[in-house]
Amino acid sequence: MEMFVMHPTAFIPAKPRPLTDIEFCAWIGQAMPGDRLEYHRGFLGIDATAVISTLPEPDRRRLGALASAARRAFEAALVHLVQVRVGPDRFAYLAIARTKPRHAPIPLSQLIATEEAA
Amino acid sequence: MHPPISPDDLATLIDEGAIAARRLHRKLKLPAADLDDLRQDLLVDLICRLPGFDARRGGIGAFANIVLRNQSSRIAIRHHRQRRAQGGTVISLDAPVSAGTEPLGCVLAEADGLAAWHGQDRSAVDDAETHHDLALALGGLSEDTHGLCAALGTCPVPEIVSRTGISRSALYRHIARLRLDLAMRGFGAEWDGSKAA
Repeated sequence: MEMFVMHPTAFIPAKPRPLTDIEFCAWIGQAMPGDRLEYHRGFLGIDATAVISTLPEPDRRRLGALASAARRAFEAALVHLVQVRVGPDRFAYLAIARTKPRHAPIPLSQLIATEEAA
Repeated sequence: MHPPISPDDLATLIDEGAIAARRLHRKLKLPAADLDDLRQDLLVDLICRLPGFDARRGGIGAFANIVLRNQSSRIAIRHHRQRRAQGGTVISLDAPVSAGTEPLGCVLAEADGLAAWHGQDRSAVDDAETHHDLALALGGLSEDTHGLCAALGTCPVPEIVSRTGISRSALYRHIARLRLDLAMRGFGAEWDGSKAA
């Protein structure tokens, strides 16, 4: 009688899930100064641009939204954005959390009152 | 006027209503006491729709079946929506909360908010801290976002659309951006590095 033997399949580690813009922003919201997050690896300018990107369209859109969230966080002085060369035309894009800037608090009730008066 | 319904037809409607109520009751996993309410809801809706019955197009049983199925679906959607709003559980004032013996209705004070229904303590100090954090986060937003925040604090989306003339899609884009900005300042979304890895 012939026995059927199942060969073990090679172990394939799960790929890290790509980061979305809301997750990136949530990380900034919880990060302590100095915390760092690699939000993309590749060539961001090419990967996020339509036509020349080699990524599938949903991934390219996700990366575009993520890149613009990173830029807004930088403009709001919440993170430093740096890149590290990891190979030819390949970079690791890092966000480093900054100390949260101090702003004058605005109560929502005051905002609403101003809006109604306008 | 619609002709009076015969006793046989009435018996058919009641039977169909009872079957549909039991099916829906089982699917929604409701407490036993809710079965009668469901049956009544379904029957009342069915009787209201009887003028639309046309005997030339089929039997009254088939008509009842379709009406009951549609109404069951509406009830199920409403029920799921309520359940989602309550965090995926059914909350009863007559049932004790977890790790307690007294019914929830006896534990709640009149001034308690929604959080107390879920067994969460929300003290005045926590509320004050949240208000303070929110005020700080609002202070960090750009000037043009302040108006949107203020409008969203008092008006529903359709009213903002009609008042400002902005298109609904553009408004939702602004809201999505506001959501990101608030998340950057620690509001709304949570980051779990282990899930993302």
